[in-house]
Amino acid sequence: MLKMTHVSKIYRTDTVETHALREFSLTVDEGEFVSVTGPSGSGKTTFLNIAGLLEELSGGTYELDGRDISSLTDSERSKVRNEKIGFIFQSFNLIPELNIFDNVDVPLRYRGFKAPERQRRIERGLELVGLASRMKHYPAQLSGGQQQRVAIARALAGEPRFLLADEPTGNLDTEMAVSVLDLLDEINAGGTTIIMVTHELSLAKRARRNIFVRDGRVSDRPPEIRLAASAGQV
Amino acid sequence: MELGPIWRSLTRNKAGSVLIALQIAVTLAIMVNAIAIMQERAEQMGRPSGTDEANIFTLSSTAFVPDTNIQSLIEEDLKLIRSQPGVVEAIATNSFPLRQGGSARGFQLEPGAGKETLTGAVYYTDEHAIEAFGTHLVDGANFAPNQVVWGGQNGDEWPANIIITESFAKTLFPDTAESAIGKTVFVDDTRPVQIIGIIDRLQAPWRNWGEIENTVIVPLRQEGQQQWYLVRTEPGAQDRIMPEVEELLAQSNKNRIIQSVRTMQEVRDRSYLSDNAMIKMLGFIVTLLILITGLGIVGLASFNVSRRTRQIGIRRALGATRAQVINYFRIENLLISGLGIAVGAVLAIALNLFLVNAFSLTPMSWYVIPLAMLAMWVVGQIAVIGPARRASRISPAIATRSG
Amino acid sequence: MFRYYLKLGLLSIRSNAALSALMVAAIGIGIGACMTIVTIYHVMSGNPIPEKSSSLYVVQIDNWSPDEPYDEPNEPPPQSTYLDATNLYSKGDEFRQVVSYKSSRVVQPPDAAELPFEVSSRATTFAFFPMFSVPFQYGSGWDTAADTNQERVVVLTQALNERLFGGENSVGEQLSLNGETYRIVGVLNEWLPTPKFYDLNNNYYEEPEEIYLPFSVAVAGEHDSVGNINCWKPFEGGYDAFLASECVWVQTWVELPTRDDKARYEQFLASYVEEQKTFGRFPRPLNNRLSDVLEWMDINHVVDDDVSVLLGLAFLFLIVCLLNTAGLLLAKVMRRTKDISLRRALGASKRTLFGQYIIEAGIIGVAGGVLGIAMTWLGLRGIEHIFTGMDFVQRLVVMDWSMVMLAVVLALVSAIAAALYPTWRAANVTPASQLRIQ
Repeated sequence: MLKMTHVSKIYRTDTVETHALREFSLTVDEGEFVSVTGPSGSGKTTFLNIAGLLEELSGGTYELDGRDISSLTDSERSKVRNEKIGFIFQSFNLIPELNIFDNVDVPLRYRGFKAPERQRRIERGLELVGLASRMKHYPAQLSGGQQQRVAIARALAGEPRFLLADEPTGNLDTEMAVSVLDLLDEINAGGTTIIMVTHELSLAKRARRNIFVRDGRVSDRPPEIRLAASAGQV
Repeated sequence: MELGPIWRSLTRNKAGSVLIALQIAVTLAIMVNAIAIMQERAEQMGRPSGTDEANIFTLSSTAFVPDTNIQSLIEEDLKLIRSQPGVVEAIATNSFPLRQGGSARGFQLEPGAGKETLTGAVYYTDEHAIEAFGTHLVDGANFAPNQVVWGGQNGDEWPANIIITESFAKTLFPDTAESAIGKTVFVDDTRPVQIIGIIDRLQAPWRNWGEIENTVIVPLRQEGQQQWYLVRTEPGAQDRIMPEVEELLAQSNKNRIIQSVRTMQEVRDRSYLSDNAMIKMLGFIVTLLILITGLGIVGLASFNVSRRTRQIGIRRALGATRAQVINYFRIENLLISGLGIAVGAVLAIALNLFLVNAFSLTPMSWYVIPLAMLAMWVVGQIAVIGPARRASRISPAIATRSG
Repeated sequence: MFRYYLKLGLLSIRSNAALSALMVAAIGIGIGACMTIVTIYHVMSGNPIPEKSSSLYVVQIDNWSPDEPYDEPNEPPPQSTYLDATNLYSKGDEFRQVVSYKSSRVVQPPDAAELPFEVSSRATTFAFFPMFSVPFQYGSGWDTAADTNQERVVVLTQALNERLFGGENSVGEQLSLNGETYRIVGVLNEWLPTPKFYDLNNNYYEEPEEIYLPFSVAVAGEHDSVGNINCWKPFEGGYDAFLASECVWVQTWVELPTRDDKARYEQFLASYVEEQKTFGRFPRPLNNRLSDVLEWMDINHVVDDDVSVLLGLAFLFLIVCLLNTAGLLLAKVMRRTKDISLRRALGASKRTLFGQYIIEAGIIGVAGGVLGIAMTWLGLRGIEHIFTGMDFVQRLVVMDWSMVMLAVVLALVSAIAAALYPTWRAANVTPASQLRIQ
């Protein structure tokens, strides 16, 4: 379970204070597939960063699996990220100097798995996304859709409880986007909680629940989403 | 922990790593050989002269008026010096250790022209020499006063007895365990001289001479216009006595000049000035080199960090702790340095072989290479720590930024 | 186009100030270390008498022991016996020869209140001055008659004349040396042959002797040689026996302007040695040598081994600095691939990019060269400092214009060499590839 209560995030520069999140409260239950939408600058990405422990919060409380996150040290946060959270990014974020195998290997190394265990997980992950035959290739040799599938394999290899997706199809054409979303559905069906941040309403409707963010808060009335959601229920 | 991926990632971006590895290799080669030379010089400088250096000073007297009675001048001078309170002993000699000028003669075991000769440095002086130099008689006896003769400067006189160093005794008689005392050797092809005493050590005057320990004390006083006086004082008395003696001698006879009044320490410093300078120059070069290579590593690591900012953010997002990021760069440096150090060790040995061949340097001690390798590795680890720390402070949130 | 590149280069250097400073410093220090030693090497191995060095020859004839050579492998002695020096001098009077040796004298200053002091002296035949192009401030050397008649004449250096006569023209004045009176016939102008090629017995870089007097006078007065005396055959008796001995201690030189002269002199030497063999001398096979000034310097290793070792290490040091610079430049290029790719897409040719980066490296090279000159100066001062007490070193640490030019050229060439690979990489960035993916 992921539970944010009155979370705020303030970015300070010398002259300006920006409130990226204010009094942000949200609960996501085990096994949910939640989409988070909102206009540019609404605080979607900040929410994702905090949810994924990439940034610290300025106020409020954040519990992940019943554990208060705000009091953790940097390396404890790293451990939580590594063990409980998988990320899928808009720009794939594969490491260009590493081949596909080594890319999927990265979080497993930090997890401290032994070599045979890593090998098993990498192979399984790449099979799942249909790229088992490309292990020795480098990211630049793959298409965008293939790169994103590798990123998904990497996110899943550690068997995380939560999968955070940041505009996962933003750099993909429609056909590839659909296949990636199908993959996410499949993963969610397997019990992994998914939180997907997107500005595309057509994607958001694939989620079971939609959250609308505006001015750093969960908006009370996101009419467009409701419309879309009702359409999606057909 | 993740050698494999780091190595594979390095090979994707060879040139930069190869350049820094080469730099480390050449640095190591220079460093090892510079240290080897410094060590060689330090060892040479550290050789004891066999004299009581701390309490000896020397000066030269040059008589310049024709027909000066040199014999009586020397007798009077020595009498005067020896009478000074605090003076342990004084001699007139043609030279002394570390002076860089003197005489050497050939000694042979069998009489006759064309026989093999062994060269020994000779100090023409008298029965006070052992005490004055502060060396020690280990076998046989000192000269009796009546065994000391007067001679000209061209070596045409020769006394019947000599005292030699242990080292020269071994050179002359390498195969026998028995004492060299009483044995006869020949100078000038046919003149027999008997070895009556052996001293433990007394260096020849030339620092670079291969047979520097092969020295002979000859009980012959040369009647030259120029004389060296060597004065040994009681401990602590030198500073007082040295100017006194200079003044006394200058006043006692105006028909000569007293010059080059120096303590043995000054003589040593002058003698080894260029070796000392070589050590300083090489030390400076090594320091500068390590600094430059260290800065090079810092510069390249900094560039790698900024080039990989995004990658580091991604790794952090995927669960790398700060320590793991730091380790990444340290291991990467270890691999690059390892390559450089390995190549450098080979280069160092090759360069040393060349130097030994071309400039007859002493081959280096085996342990210099592993020590220098270790030092180079430490330099790399220190140099990389700053950029690695900076890398570890990159926020994982960078991963969610697009572009 | 050059000016545009220059502008781009300066812009790029300014935008990466810390990195550029590091590169300039690396080149500067490398050049400094290198040029410090090169300067010393240059002075040490310089030609001390360029206009004549190939017509002046040192004469070596092998009077050594039948059992072993003077030096391995079969080297004749570097000096002559008194007997041979004087024989060659008188028998070969159709050639211009000089025989001389170093000694020392005690000067009693004309001002009786001043203390006597010792000076180095050279006992020589008269042709020393014209043959070695020795410059005079006042008067001149002596003539052959003074040699023959053992006239007590003397030539002083400028410095000694300054000390004794306050720099006035002292020709004709009297000078007391070891209680004997000499007539001053000449005062030298400043003369510092480096190295002191005509006598490489002791320190190669010491100053020339302070006074010069006839060889015949010195021998008659039994002036001791302060150079090396090497003997292989025992002799008995006093100074006369020494003069007749097989001991070598006299430096013999001959001036042979043409090949023909040289051939004739070689013939003369050979017949002299053959003649001496009939008297039972020269037991070794004929082994005469004539070496000109530069050959003689080479044979005597005038450049100290330490300097050669340091020179080698200094060049390796420069290589380290270049590898350093190349690495940093490469890092810079790798980081700018996006920018380069964009330029390529906008129509920059490979050549254009190559030019741009080479000129940027050139600017860094020139800056490094200027810094290198300053470093060289510092290095030379440092060396002067650690050799305090060896006065001759002061003359080895002097930078002339050729060295300054060499420093800049070396820096420029080094920087461009270091830039070649990074520049090649930059020029080979493909126009579009870097634009698509972040």
